[in-house]
Amino acid sequence: MTTPKTFKQFWGLFTTLLAIFSIGAVLLPIFLNAHPWPTAARDYLAMRGNTDSGATNLVSAIYLGYRVFDTFGETIVLLVSVLGTMGILTRVESLVDASSDDEHTIGTVSGFSLSQEKRRSHTLRTHLLEVVTGKIGPIVLLFGFYVMLYGHVSPGGGFQGGVILASGIIFLALGNPQEGSSGISNPEILVRIETVAFLILVLVFFSGFFMGNGFFGNPLESTQVPVGYIVLLNAIIGLKVGTSIGFMCIAMMGGGY
Amino acid sequence: MKPEDLVFSTLMLPLLGAAIALCGKLIHSHKRIAKSFEYSGAIIGLALPWVALILLGQQVLRGEIITGVVGNWYSGVGISYQFDGLSWLIQVLGFTIGLVAWIYSLGGGPKGPAFTTIFLIQTAALAATIITTDLFNLFVCLEVMGITSYVLIPTSKKPGASLAAFSYLMVSASAMVFFLLGTYGLYRITGSLSYEGISLGLKIISPQNQMIAIVSCTLLVSAVAIRVAVMPLYGWLPDAHALAPHAVSAVLSGVLIKTPLFALSRVLMLFAQGPEVGQLMSIAGGVTALAAVIIALSQKDVKRLLAYHSISQIGYIVSAWGMALQFGLETETGLFLMIGAYLHALFHALFKGLLFLSVGTTIDATGQRNVYVLRGAIGLLRKAGERVPITFFTFLVGALAITALPPLNGFVSKNLITYGLNNSYLYYLLISASVGTVASFIKLGRIFVPGTNTKPSRIKRIRFRSRWVAQLTLAILCIIGGFWTPTVIEIVAKLLAPHQHMVLTAPELYTTDSLLKTLWITFGGIILYLLIQTAPLKKALTMIRTRPRNFKGLFVSFSLGTAALALWLLV
Amino acid sequence: MVERILLLLLFMVGFWGIVGKKHIIKKIFGLNILNNAAVILFIVEGSRIGTNAPIMEQTGSSIVDPVPQALMLTAIVIGVCITALSLALAVHLYKISGSFDIDTIRLKVQDEA
Repeated sequence: MTTPKTFKQFWGLFTTLLAIFSIGAVLLPIFLNAHPWPTAARDYLAMRGNTDSGATNLVSAIYLGYRVFDTFGETIVLLVSVLGTMGILTRVESLVDASSDDEHTIGTVSGFSLSQEKRRSHTLRTHLLEVVTGKIGPIVLLFGFYVMLYGHVSPGGGFQGGVILASGIIFLALGNPQEGSSGISNPEILVRIETVAFLILVLVFFSGFFMGNGFFGNPLESTQVPVGYIVLLNAIIGLKVGTSIGFMCIAMMGGGY
Repeated sequence: MKPEDLVFSTLMLPLLGAAIALCGKLIHSHKRIAKSFEYSGAIIGLALPWVALILLGQQVLRGEIITGVVGNWYSGVGISYQFDGLSWLIQVLGFTIGLVAWIYSLGGGPKGPAFTTIFLIQTAALAATIITTDLFNLFVCLEVMGITSYVLIPTSKKPGASLAAFSYLMVSASAMVFFLLGTYGLYRITGSLSYEGISLGLKIISPQNQMIAIVSCTLLVSAVAIRVAVMPLYGWLPDAHALAPHAVSAVLSGVLIKTPLFALSRVLMLFAQGPEVGQLMSIAGGVTALAAVIIALSQKDVKRLLAYHSISQIGYIVSAWGMALQFGLETETGLFLMIGAYLHALFHALFKGLLFLSVGTTIDATGQRNVYVLRGAIGLLRKAGERVPITFFTFLVGALAITALPPLNGFVSKNLITYGLNNSYLYYLLISASVGTVASFIKLGRIFVPGTNTKPSRIKRIRFRSRWVAQLTLAILCIIGGFWTPTVIEIVAKLLAPHQHMVLTAPELYTTDSLLKTLWITFGGIILYLLIQTAPLKKALTMIRTRPRNFKGLFVSFSLGTAALALWLLV
Repeated sequence: MVERILLLLLFMVGFWGIVGKKHIIKKIFGLNILNNAAVILFIVEGSRIGTNAPIMEQTGSSIVDPVPQALMLTAIVIGVCITALSLALAVHLYKISGSFDIDTIRLKVQDEA
């Protein structure tokens, strides 16, 4: 950084440093605090977490049992952000199509395109990429399903599995040699799965109400397998997250919607 | 039905409606079926919760408070909630404005299942924010509210709207990270995330951890203060509210800047420093009220003028709320000020929503937003298809309400606030702000005065029916609020403080004193308006309007504001 | 102790990115770094009270605090969603103004508004 010459530059630098130092001073005690971390929650959960919810993975027990309301809010944030992102990107795409010859046409949106016309011409889309991703895709999908459905006994769960599912979907979309992408990387099908998954999620939360346990309560609590609730929620959230993020990434790569 | 289920139905029903409306997006072939999905989603989400609210209203009027843990899990780890009078009042506010704004959007705003879905999710988030008594859940609810706003603002397709949404997103998302750090601080020293656990824990902390508690409180307050847009943290609001679609502006100004404030009052009651925070916020509120009205006087875009007025009115609300916290809700003055703050929040939502919708209709019909250029709007609206000047009537009701002329609701709430403040310096700040309000609404009202436009206007024939329904509903509610004052005040008093044993009599509002004061304020406003036509003041106002504003300023003001609050609390 | 100081520095770097840089994408980087610093702080500090992952294979093992981990799952997903939305807005802003510099964008859109 050269020494600021004009007053404007000096003022800009000064205000930035002022902001950073004042925030740093406020945050210093928070970050450097050395009070011993509280153990009350950990002790209770170590004792009763498994029996309350049926899951051996205590983190799953928390975010799909005790604090499932927060997880619901998080799923809603994902839904809204995907709707918003797609709305804005379709507007950009229509602007790009309308003025495809001037210098404002950005390579980004349709650059890495999955649509047939632009696919062959992009330098990064080599044959190696297409073969490898096409073959790995189904394996990654399988792994994603595993992580999603075993979230209650091993590290994993709906969100983690869902993101791996999304990578699998993207691999399949990248590696697909012909147009009219088949099956799971078809944007239409992804949108349908996502919408239906959200509806089922809301209905599952309503079901707690009908089973007498209140909203967000475990409807399977009095049956043999209370952990079935957690597995079900993991599966729905995983599908929802996977299809949302997969759809968003395919759209950002220019794959037609 | 158990009361806990009723409480959650007010937020689960809009979410169910959102899921159904979203299914309408999948059906491309039959437009009618898609529309029926969307409308049934909206009815489930915006009309059915009123059943629950009426049933719950009977319970809270009896003084019952419904608390518990979501899903009946263990309270040390689970999410606790509390539904009391304050929650009921804010939910009534949110659902009223939500329903009216959605009806308006059928004729004038963004259409489509995606818009309805996101709108319903926003309403659900408002309902959830005010019943939660868990810090992390408050974080999630504020994030949901925020992200729906970031998405709804650019739907107006104006280029500036994307920049406004981007700035708002950056500032708000960083503020929420600070909120998260405040939660970290409090969890570390108390071991709990629920308000009860935190207040129990704060009683037994050691003195060196007191500073951590204070700094965490500072972070929480300043993160919420960005959402509420008091000075100096107001920078994102004028662009966002002016460039959003009209229905969305009404909801943003009416509900989304007030709900975080009342949710914060629950948090502040946990801290011993709550009254001091209230004191600083009340000073900031008074300064906001006056400064924002001066900037509003200088604007030439009609919606931006209304947006600066929103900031000014939120200054009124924050100063009353701050002083209420300073005195404490157990005292009579404190309770009085809190009633004034809530009533002004409710009435402001009604008349500001009314103004945004009426002015929005005028903009859509005439194609002109500049307050110096647009003239004779009644005639132009007639050419666009409105034979009876309903929009002018509703604008008049809104303008009279905001300038606090009797017998409309603005008169009631503004006088309650100034009555409660009683000759402190805040009183003089707020009175000066009222004078400014009168002047700027005379300036805005000139768009309806007959005259010739300096630029030719493009009249569009637009659909009026749903706009009329929405505007007239709000106008009628404004008028009712003005006439049924004593009942309204008593109901709100009973709801906000159910365990008070003193009988709170509604003060006599139509005394000679207050009417004379209103007369003087109106007179002062007219004089101010005539004064700003003169050259030197015009130049000063133009300088204010074209002052440099940039993105960095938002963050510098946030940092300095947080540091100032921390210093205020520590010394 | 060292971790805490490093995390504070990381947080300050993120904040500097948002405030001091003019390129929109760098601001979005800064927001991401800010988010991640807060998340890592929670996890690292929560892990000090135990040695094993919070999976109850056998009783009596000393596990770390699972509550911050569950909270941070939510925070990470919310951070990703905000990043996606802000990137879409950045692309749109570039398309309508031709530049990624925030001051240039502000000048361009103010003319058109």
